[in-house]
Amino acid sequence: MPQLKIALVLGLAILLQLSLLSLPGIWTPVSYIDLPLIVVVYIALQREAWQALLVGTIAGISIDATSGGLLGAGGFSKTLTAYVIYYAATRVNLENALLRIPVLAAATALDSAIYVFWHRSLGYAPQVPFVQTTSYRLIATTVVGTVAFYLLDSYLTQQGSQRRQFATRRRVARRATGSLRRR
Amino acid sequence: MAVDARDSVTKQRMVRVWAQAIFSPFQSVTSKATGAGAGFINRIVNFSSTADENERLQLRVAELDLELKHAREAKAENERLHGILGLKEKTGYEVVPARVIARDSTVWFNTITVDRGSSVGIKLNMPVVTGGGIVGRVISLSPWTAQVMLLTDEKAAAGAVVGQLGESGALGSIRGNGEGGLVEMKYVSGLQEVEVGDYVMTTGQDGIYPPGLNVGEVVQVKHGTATQPHQILIRPGAQLDQLQEVAVLLYEPPQRPAPNQTLPNVEKEKK
Repeated sequence: MPQLKIALVLGLAILLQLSLLSLPGIWTPVSYIDLPLIVVVYIALQREAWQALLVGTIAGISIDATSGGLLGAGGFSKTLTAYVIYYAATRVNLENALLRIPVLAAATALDSAIYVFWHRSLGYAPQVPFVQTTSYRLIATTVVGTVAFYLLDSYLTQQGSQRRQFATRRRVARRATGSLRRR
Repeated sequence: MAVDARDSVTKQRMVRVWAQAIFSPFQSVTSKATGAGAGFINRIVNFSSTADENERLQLRVAELDLELKHAREAKAENERLHGILGLKEKTGYEVVPARVIARDSTVWFNTITVDRGSSVGIKLNMPVVTGGGIVGRVISLSPWTAQVMLLTDEKAAAGAVVGQLGESGALGSIRGNGEGGLVEMKYVSGLQEVEVGDYVMTTGQDGIYPPGLNVGEVVQVKHGTATQPHQILIRPGAQLDQLQEVAVLLYEPPQRPAPNQTLPNVEKEKK
């Protein structure tokens, strides 16, 4: 997967998170989506350790820099989440599209837990109820992330482009066999 | 002769009079029937143009609805901005109007970002207000933007008094409690009279907010005793969840004299 594409996708996710999803009048459920986390989990699932850690750190610190929370807490939580997902992906096959849904949900919960834990440990409790906010984040991020994973699959990975090529070939082959049968 | 016979009074030909009298009812009926028929045909003919007109009018109604909505929004915005600009006269401090461009990028904290920064003279810890009351203080700055910690944040605090400053002794400190957009007022003596509906003002003792700004209204009081302070919840006067325009007060608190750090014993020795 070319690094430039990853950087572009990550930059776009951060930009959208900081502009569109932080708009003052935006529909509240939308603000619970964590786009950078979706990218972090996706990269971690590709089993590239350094890439995952770097993406996690950059995504987290970028968001921390513009938030009212502690600088570095988000960076730490996303880096650790990326590592945990990477570790799991190297031991269990998480290539299945259905399996990625619970992985994304777990990653969101883990990221929230670490983020809030750091703030609480340093005497800076977040302003919203933990369980409620984590649940909303989990739902919003998992729903959007599931769709985003398909898009990222299509445009980022070679597997995706290979799959598309094979799908076309299969379709052509099926048509050919169908026409033979009819004859 | 009969054809040429004329009425003796009007001198009209009798044939004409009779003919008119006989045919006029038929003419009337025919005229009405034709008129109705022509109208019906006209309606059928004009049906497509009526449908077009109906569509056009519906579009016009939608446009007018939109215009009305915009006009109402503009009026509300105008009132808000008018309130903000009035703050300069009300408070006596320079005011920088600003627009809220973003809320906190995570969902965990209560901060907002406004579109004015250090380039227009805003400094750290300057108070941010609306016509309704205080909003918070500036916690970080760039030349073009400023991040504001809202009053509801747990880390935010301000010196406040229930009632009018100088008349009431119900002094205390307000802090965000992060629940339901309310703030908590602490350390108000249980001997002071505080009721739901009382208004709360800043005292200026915190070194951030100038005295006399509206904070909000008391919505809940758990009365204390002689040894226990009241537990008071306040709804901020500024609608913190619907902020669009705010004003940064270019207020710098008066410098306090530095505390005397010399030790009494050392002084004695010197003497």
